[in-house]
Amino acid sequence: MHVDLIPALDAAGLPGPPWLFHVLLVFTFFLHLIFMNLTLGGTIMAFVSHLRARGRADDANGVLAARLTAVNTYAISLAITTGVAPLLFVQVLYQQYFYSGTILLGWSWFALLVLLLIGYYAAYLHKSFRGPWLGVSSVMFFAVAMVHVAVHLVHVQPEKWSAFSVGSWRVLGDPTYWPRLAHFVLAAVTFAALVAAWWAVRRARAGDAVDTNSRIAATAWQWALWATVLLVVDGFILLALLPKPVLLGLMRGGLATLGPLTLAIVLAVGLLVMLARSGRPVEHPGLVSGTLAALTLTVAIMAVTRHQTRVLYLEPSTSRFQADIVSQWGTFGLFVVVLLIGLATVFVMVRRVLTSPAEGEEAA
Amino acid sequence: MDYPIWSSGLSGGVLMAWVAITHVIVAHFAIGGGLVVVATETLSVKRADRELRELARRSSLVLILVSTVFGAISGVGIWVVAGLISPGAISSLIHTYVWGWAIEWVFFIVEIVAALVYYTTWDKISKGAHLMVGWLYVVSAYLSLVIINGIITFMLTPGDWLASRAFWDGFFNPTYWPSLVLRTGIAALMAVAFMVFVALTSSPERRPDIMRYLGWWWLAGALVSYAGYRWWEAALPDTVTAMFRGAEPWLPTLDATRAFTLWALAAGLAVGVLILLVAPRLARAVTGVVLMVAAFAFFGGYERLREGVRKPFLIHSHMFSNGLLVSQIEAINAAGLAAHSGWVAQGDPSPEALGERLYLAQCSSCHSLDGYQSIRRALPTLADMELVAADDPPGSGALHYRRECAACHRDVSYEEMAAMLPSVEEIRDDSEMIHELNRGMITMVILELREMGADFAAFDPAETFDLRGLHRPVMPPFVGTDEEAEALAAYLATLERPNSGAAAVGGE
Repeated sequence: MHVDLIPALDAAGLPGPPWLFHVLLVFTFFLHLIFMNLTLGGTIMAFVSHLRARGRADDANGVLAARLTAVNTYAISLAITTGVAPLLFVQVLYQQYFYSGTILLGWSWFALLVLLLIGYYAAYLHKSFRGPWLGVSSVMFFAVAMVHVAVHLVHVQPEKWSAFSVGSWRVLGDPTYWPRLAHFVLAAVTFAALVAAWWAVRRARAGDAVDTNSRIAATAWQWALWATVLLVVDGFILLALLPKPVLLGLMRGGLATLGPLTLAIVLAVGLLVMLARSGRPVEHPGLVSGTLAALTLTVAIMAVTRHQTRVLYLEPSTSRFQADIVSQWGTFGLFVVVLLIGLATVFVMVRRVLTSPAEGEEAA
Repeated sequence: MDYPIWSSGLSGGVLMAWVAITHVIVAHFAIGGGLVVVATETLSVKRADRELRELARRSSLVLILVSTVFGAISGVGIWVVAGLISPGAISSLIHTYVWGWAIEWVFFIVEIVAALVYYTTWDKISKGAHLMVGWLYVVSAYLSLVIINGIITFMLTPGDWLASRAFWDGFFNPTYWPSLVLRTGIAALMAVAFMVFVALTSSPERRPDIMRYLGWWWLAGALVSYAGYRWWEAALPDTVTAMFRGAEPWLPTLDATRAFTLWALAAGLAVGVLILLVAPRLARAVTGVVLMVAAFAFFGGYERLREGVRKPFLIHSHMFSNGLLVSQIEAINAAGLAAHSGWVAQGDPSPEALGERLYLAQCSSCHSLDGYQSIRRALPTLADMELVAADDPPGSGALHYRRECAACHRDVSYEEMAAMLPSVEEIRDDSEMIHELNRGMITMVILELREMGADFAAFDPAETFDLRGLHRPVMPPFVGTDEEAEALAAYLATLERPNSGAAAVGGE
């Protein structure tokens, strides 16, 4: 007997046109990626740098590790906070698939919470006690990435749910699982490395600990270079391993799909060229800023392509369902107003803080 | 009910309770803590009081460590667990209130940024700028409560939304304002319960002043909480109040929970006033422990009550606790749950196996096999029947019946049940017969639950359902065909416990 394992659409309908949720999902996911990259890539880099420093705090690697750990105080919180929005919008658009995928993974999905908590507090423990905590934090965040990739691959393949219900670990055997995971991790390392290089170049150019910052910039630049080499190779492998209908969908989608994909590939190759141009980034601050900007743009475009592959994976299923649209334009308008006020508030707050330095009795 | 079923081995409700209670404690602490910490800093600037400043500064570290990550992760945790155990319900809430959640997310972003900046800029920026950051934190944290409170209260008292399906009708529902007042008071209690520990590290000469200062916050929090609670209870529909109030509440345990909740608040208020306000020199770590226990007990009791009185719904009068929509009852009864859910249809077609899948789909969101709300313990054993039938010594049968059986057989007296049961000799001679009898009783209960579906379907869907008069008002109806009811009964009958108590018959 043929049984349909895909649940029905939510009876409440979509509270707005689908395109709006697609845009919000991709945009907020991009925001999340920025901080996620800093968290995951930064923690891995900090751990390796900490090991290479062999406990010497004045060593360039030691300073780099401390700097990345300090950034993580903000990045982890903001990665979680910005992750709430795409989690919200994916539930609106893909609730049938997303919930089914997470239920099939069960405890692995639940473990995400525990992994995040341990990862975060281990990073704090490292600040106070050193020891193995940075390694623990790296492993936890890597495991979080594993869970997310698993959820993604399970939820987009309802034709395999029956098999996954017997053993969800089978997702590890999906041809694209490991290349997809590697893609995220390498991108995270590249991003964190470029941010570290950019910051070190700024400090060095401002005359602050020039020698140490120059060495940090060069080290981080090397990290970014080699991670990008691997990233580009892995990207082509991932593309080749995509299921044929998905790959064909990307190729036949015209400008809408080929445009972002081509641009992302061109940018990735361009990144390689820019990174290989110089081994002394501190002498080329414009190149460093440009490379970081190009990488940020690449991340944004890859967020679009990733979403398009999800749409293509699910197309055979989603084409069977037609959601009722029950728009809530009034409350959406309120959201936009609140968002603008919120962004303005953050801007005003940060500006006031930056323009109000104080010391001693004058300080808070 | 058409999603795959997560067989975690735990009751979904228990898992949700752990995550949700952890989150609400932290989330309310983040709100109340922010308010008290920033108000304290403001006061310290006005009075040039270094001790008060230190109280605020030291408290802000815990605020940041707890609220910015633990609060955020446990908040996401509620979505994670809800998606695992009640995907239909969380989907319905998200589709109805996505823009509410999106607005809350904006406040959350501002709150987190402000918290991080607030903590890391002590001693680095001017007092005025620091206070501005602090108050932005307080306002954004409180506004996130203003939003989420509408969604939480909507689940218990959707009010006019049932007829209009309009966002604001559900948001500003009958318990919205009472709940907001109550949670505001709770937030203050959470903050003081923690800050007492920080205040203990103040200098000995200033400690009494600081304890008394916290005492006023505690008193205000307790009084606001009490007023909010009373208002909340008064705003509940009668059909909800009947669950835990009156001469014969449907769920006496909730009546006990209510008493526990209010006594916890009273005890906390008494200790807080006596120690913090009247005799602050006596304040010790144990004072903080007592206040924390009282605050947690009051808050936990209230949350347990709020969740409990929503039975059998997740969204009152709209969606049952197992994800079944009221509007689906008739269609599923006609075609069967297997026609509605591939996860029920897929697999071994034997009645017992189908019954297990039906159990997982319809019952497992509230029940576990052996743990919380155990199905196995609810099933009568051969020993139960022997004890009731034997009634030896006289009176023991009625006592056992009241303790073990009457909760399900509310409309059957002990005498009626004893008359229906075979004699104790017949029970001992033919154990197979008693199994059949047992299965018959299970079938009867399932069919009663199925018939109750017609009662629910007959209600006006635009009104809050009046559950008074229903046979089993705290349970969702069983939905499915006759064959599916038989299959569920066949599965449940396999769960009979070993006949552990049989030897005791006649021996006591």
